[in-house]
Amino acid sequence: MDRPLKRRLESRFGERLVGPVRQRHDETEIRIGPGDVPEVLRALHDEPDLRFLVLADVAGVDTGTTMEIVYQLWSDTTTDWLRVIAVGLPREDPRVPSITFLWKGAEWLEREAYDMFGIVFEGNRDLRRIFMPPDYKSYPLRKDFFLPDDASRSPGAGVRPMERPFSPSNATPAATVRRSKAG
Amino acid sequence: MTMLGRNFARMSLPAKLLLGAIPVVIVLSLGLVVGLVFVGPLALVFIDDNQPLLRFLVAATAVLLMTVPTAFLIIYMEMKIIALMNLRIGPDRVGPFGSALSVVHGLKVLMKEDFTPTGADRLVFTWAPVVTFLASVMTLLVIPFAPGLFGADLNIGLLYFFAIGGISVVGLLMGGWASFNKYSLLGGIRSAAQAVSYEIPLVLSVVGLILLAGSMSLNTLVENQAGSFLDWYVWQQPLGVLIFMIAATAEVNRTPFDLTEADSEIVAGFATEYSGMRFGFFFFAEYVNVFIISALAVTLFFGGWNAPFDWPFPITLELDPFGYGLAGLIALLLIPVIGTLAFAAPFWMARSDRPGWEALVVGFVLFNLVAVAAVLGWAFVSFDWVVGLFWFMAKAYVFVFFFVWMRATLPRIRVDQLMNFAWKWLMELAFLNIFITAAAIILIEYLRS
Amino acid sequence: MTATRPGDRGAFDIPAHASTDDPRVTLEEQVGVYEAVPPFPPRTERESEFYTVRDGELLVNVGPHHPSTHGVMRVVMKINGEQVVDLDPVLGYLHRGVEKLCENADYHQTITQLDPLEYVSSLFCEWPAVMAYEKLLDVTVPRRAEYIRVLSGELNRISSHALAMGFHALDLGGLTPILYSFIERDEMVEMLAALTGQRMLFNFFRIGGVNGDLNHEFMSRLGDWMSRATQQVEANIGLLNENELFVRRNRGLGVIDSETALRLCWTGPNLRATGLPFDIRRAHPYSVYPELDFDIPTRREGDSLARYLLRIDEIKQSLRIIDQCLHQMPDGPVLATLPRLLRPRPGRAFAAVEGPRGEYAVYAMSDGTDQPFRLRIHDPSFLHLASFTHLVPGNLLADWMTINASLDPIMGGVDK
Repeated sequence: MDRPLKRRLESRFGERLVGPVRQRHDETEIRIGPGDVPEVLRALHDEPDLRFLVLADVAGVDTGTTMEIVYQLWSDTTTDWLRVIAVGLPREDPRVPSITFLWKGAEWLEREAYDMFGIVFEGNRDLRRIFMPPDYKSYPLRKDFFLPDDASRSPGAGVRPMERPFSPSNATPAATVRRSKAG
Repeated sequence: MTMLGRNFARMSLPAKLLLGAIPVVIVLSLGLVVGLVFVGPLALVFIDDNQPLLRFLVAATAVLLMTVPTAFLIIYMEMKIIALMNLRIGPDRVGPFGSALSVVHGLKVLMKEDFTPTGADRLVFTWAPVVTFLASVMTLLVIPFAPGLFGADLNIGLLYFFAIGGISVVGLLMGGWASFNKYSLLGGIRSAAQAVSYEIPLVLSVVGLILLAGSMSLNTLVENQAGSFLDWYVWQQPLGVLIFMIAATAEVNRTPFDLTEADSEIVAGFATEYSGMRFGFFFFAEYVNVFIISALAVTLFFGGWNAPFDWPFPITLELDPFGYGLAGLIALLLIPVIGTLAFAAPFWMARSDRPGWEALVVGFVLFNLVAVAAVLGWAFVSFDWVVGLFWFMAKAYVFVFFFVWMRATLPRIRVDQLMNFAWKWLMELAFLNIFITAAAIILIEYLRS
Repeated sequence: MTATRPGDRGAFDIPAHASTDDPRVTLEEQVGVYEAVPPFPPRTERESEFYTVRDGELLVNVGPHHPSTHGVMRVVMKINGEQVVDLDPVLGYLHRGVEKLCENADYHQTITQLDPLEYVSSLFCEWPAVMAYEKLLDVTVPRRAEYIRVLSGELNRISSHALAMGFHALDLGGLTPILYSFIERDEMVEMLAALTGQRMLFNFFRIGGVNGDLNHEFMSRLGDWMSRATQQVEANIGLLNENELFVRRNRGLGVIDSETALRLCWTGPNLRATGLPFDIRRAHPYSVYPELDFDIPTRREGDSLARYLLRIDEIKQSLRIIDQCLHQMPDGPVLATLPRLLRPRPGRAFAAVEGPRGEYAVYAMSDGTDQPFRLRIHDPSFLHLASFTHLVPGNLLADWMTINASLDPIMGGVDK
């Protein structure tokens, strides 16, 4: 945990942060609104006391209620991974500005998030499906996309098969979406 | 008739075959006799009148037949030698040390579906392998394998060789174009570009040789190199040999110049869409080409069928097998039997637990080996052309081994590097070689006069 | 001839049963079917620009069954003669939806799902996942387990680099080097099989440690091999490094500077070949790497040859690490005591390791159940492939194979 980084981030992005800066193990986490992504990431990348030059990952997340985009960054100014989460994208029409102007390599990472979650990255020059076929309609990693043998759809959602109470084979599957309790 | 039919039905299969063959043989022999009596004189007249045509027909047939075992042997050599260089075992299932695998490959190629892709230009697609194969094979006609053993002694033999050999690229281009496949097209165009570029240094590299010999007849070239290995042209044309070998490698599309069928780049090049025996023709042509270019290198620079040194202890065998009359015939009948029994005897005595016929089989095989060796040795000593053929083939297969070795060792060159090398280096060196040779000839003549 | 996409005629209009035997269908329409142009309107401007074929240009499908695509990848190439004008990689032929499968498996089961991602270096797929889970669970891994992880991981790194070296030569048309490098790779795979039980998909790491302690067969094989490893590596290097054809085809090809490489999100040997010593083992130390003494080899050129040579340098460093691991290995348990049913507190964890191709990372979210709520797998080959459009255009068709081999992608990981 890099306490000075927390203070630096709080002082630099104070008004833009949605929620507190969290730290655990070797990770520091900040949350921002989707509209602030370009400015915040540009500041993180360009400013000499931050220097987050390495984009370690871009991940889409469907929490069951909203969408998130998670950026993992590395810098030589800190010993922590920095996680930037753009929170609160609506599930119906998730949109977030692209960061390909900073990291050109993020183009395919964003394509993957688009393919899997349907998150539209505005400014990505080549936003099309990357893994799934072009005529595919749904977004497989969304929480309302069930696998045929999806355990989380069954009455004992999230319970191991051995612990699951017996249910008759013709029982109606619970149509509930698995929602995140992750903080 | 009924009785005959019943008896025939009871016979064993060999007996049936024999009985069935007897009337056929009788009819055929009668026909042969009648044919010879009536057509023979006419045929003799025709042959007398058309000696060159007959010679061509025989030579072309012999050359065509020769390509098959040659290609099989080189394919087997390549599989086995590359395997050994790769620390693999290689073919070891069919025949002794897997030596029949290439024969089986040939049969497989014959049995596979002959596939023409939709959209291909069928006529061109069909004829492309034929053009390539025939162009390769016909160059063999002028190569002197041994004294007196050649198809034709053209006074422009070398020119004929390069002219006909150059046609094979037309076949590749035809195949590449007609296949209706982009990889094939790329392969065909690559082969055309490569052949055009390397044809020039290839031909220029032997100009120095022509200046030295004053002839383009391959026979004359070989006869000029008679004597010991010091008389070979390789010592007078070292640069020429180098250029020739490099350009020849490119000309026959071998590694490191196998861009036309670069499997990691354009799948199989011009042969991508070919299957069955059409592919087999391309495949055969490639390996026959390897032999041909080795043979040409031997002919031009390495003494052809001349022995590298005179045998220090000349053996002369005054043996006239047809001079012994009836005694010779009886000996011919008896020697195999006696020989087989003689070789079988020790095995029969050594193991009492084995049946006697096994010893007989072993004796038969051993006797055959010895007999074949004896006949070959007699032929080697007695006939000039056998000696010549032996040395020619030995030298040629050294070069074949060299090509195989290169394939196992070298990665592939790139297209632009290939072109740069041909136009910027090989061609200039070839001209330099011509210039030096001509200057040397003039200088020596001046000094002598 | 300026051919555009089949427009309103639409390749879909041609009936599926069409062939040249059908008199109603002309060959020209057939050509429309065979074009690499996708049979639907362009979705992005980039796609529209790419599939607009100008005069003299030709679209060639390289793959998905091409010999040198290192798996099942399709690259649509726009070529002008032999020169590549532009290219468009098409992925997804190996997509299995591992992330979704992991969200429906419990934490232990996900490890087996992650194995086949990078099938030539499976341990590095398991490693970030178990690290992330250990962070979620606040588990401390026994030191002996960490040493065994490093030891087996470095062995796996060497075997992966041996494969990369062999295939690099094979893609250039050299038949022999791959078999020589596979001698070493096979020995290492056998060693790891003695340790883990499998030759390829090891399934060895567990949450809180490893599956088993070092055994006698592994140690005797390793001892045998270590005594001749350096010599063998040198011998294999001699096969190609002095080869003029090989060097000339690689030098100055696919050059990239470190600034651009960072912008393209490169990691691993490919990034270090540009001169930037970014190695997660040092940049963000994990496991017991801080206790080990090794260098981070870098090269300045940033071309294909540098990427190839850097892998050889890394093999030598890995040998050093293995040697130190064997000498410093402490005694103790190899697996932390954990309940069989893991239910981490809700939270998020990110863990990255330095694999043979770069940064392997896993971002795991827990919602308190025994299944990860979200498991994100990051694979370096994916991003290296993404930079084809930067590296290849302007080079020749054959150079794509060289660049691809020097980047050393594994399609199992790219397609997830």
